[in-house]
Amino acid sequence: MISLHSIAGGKRAVLLLLALLITALLLLPESRQEPVLALGRHMAAAVSIPLRALEWVNQGIDGMWARYGTLQHVREENFTLRQEIARLRQENTRMHETAAASTRLRDLLELKERLPYPTVSAQVVGRDPSNWYRSIVINKGAGDGLAVDMGVVTPAGIIGRIVKAYDRFAIVLLLIDPNNAVTGLVQRTRDEGIVEGTEKGLTRIKYLPLLSTVKVGDQVVTSGLAGGFPRGLPIGTITKIERREAELFLSAEIVPDTDFAKIEEVLVVTSPRESTQLPPMPFPLQPPARRDAGDQR
Amino acid sequence: MKVAAYVALVLLVIPIQIVLLDRISIAGIRPDLALVTVCLIGLYRGEMETVLAGLAMGFAQDLFSGGALWGNLCLKPVLGLMAGLARRNLVNLTWAFVLTLMLGLSLLSGSVMYLLKSFAGSGASFFLAARGIILPQACYDAILGLAALKLIRLWKPRRTPLTAFTYE
Repeated sequence: MISLHSIAGGKRAVLLLLALLITALLLLPESRQEPVLALGRHMAAAVSIPLRALEWVNQGIDGMWARYGTLQHVREENFTLRQEIARLRQENTRMHETAAASTRLRDLLELKERLPYPTVSAQVVGRDPSNWYRSIVINKGAGDGLAVDMGVVTPAGIIGRIVKAYDRFAIVLLLIDPNNAVTGLVQRTRDEGIVEGTEKGLTRIKYLPLLSTVKVGDQVVTSGLAGGFPRGLPIGTITKIERREAELFLSAEIVPDTDFAKIEEVLVVTSPRESTQLPPMPFPLQPPARRDAGDQR
Repeated sequence: MKVAAYVALVLLVIPIQIVLLDRISIAGIRPDLALVTVCLIGLYRGEMETVLAGLAMGFAQDLFSGGALWGNLCLKPVLGLMAGLARRNLVNLTWAFVLTLMLGLSLLSGSVMYLLKSFAGSGASFFLAARGIILPQACYDAILGLAALKLIRLWKPRRTPLTAFTYE
């Protein structure tokens, strides 16, 4: 505590004088206080500089705090939204899958209703356990009335025939397997031949007459003469004609109408001879899938 | 107990091969899980067990295959037997050994399957078959074999196959 006794005599007098002066100034009427106020304005201006700086710092701290709070909130919101997105994606995928399945099943049902032959619908549950044969496993078998050599079709066309039938499963050898062969007919020229699979995963029609006017783009259908298929089911489109010298017959490469890599549901024709009716035309309920040969294994 | 375990193994491996392996196929080529399993049984359990397991797995595989031949029924026990015999001369089961063995046995299996298919009449050129099926499948089988070995070692780290020194 500062005591006036500790201050030297001269200084004490100055301090007393200043106190008296300030008291006198305060006692002056307001109109006479202008010089003091002017001094105060300058001082305030000088003080305002660090004040603004401090205010800026303070605002910065406030902003940081607010951002931190917001970030915390955003993080929680982000987490919630991510969960929501994941859930919606799953739901979307499920709905897409359901929509695709319902389209496929509707096509299959329409085909089943339109085919004038008894059929059994089945689902593909597996593929050949080796890479050497192109076959599929379906979830219907001898217990459901299926037997060896019955033809198997999809809305796009024929896909193969049953080679093994167990009680609850059957093995379908696909049309693109070189061990498979069905009788085919070029729809435009009515030339008959044998359709068999190739190593490239396509099919080929053999034994066409040498004088046949078959051309690229012609549709090939089943002839119904032999095997488990009725007449008129689509097989594929001719893409290349092979004329070899010294051969008595023509052969042609066919791109099948069915995408063999994406078969999920099929119809098995259990009795192709039961009806004499031809299948309704146009047969394919969906446009034939076109793809490269490499996709067909 | 052991018989039940092998039955369970067959009932597990073949359905996986038929239903699930298509999901991991590369360019349409799937590994032969039955071959890998039989070879690992040969390496870990000996000739007799691998021959019996190979017979069961080969038979089950042929049942669900589109082929008319009983190729797998004949091949799988022989491949397992070869793995079992290789184990006799083995001191340490190294990664390189398993890789080479799986690759070799799968190449052999693929070549024999090609020959069987050729005899049946559906012959493509060997070059095409080797490039398209035999070689890629052998590589895939070898990688799968290594992965299976890794899993076995994680599961039972101290379990090593009988070696030339311990085999009775």
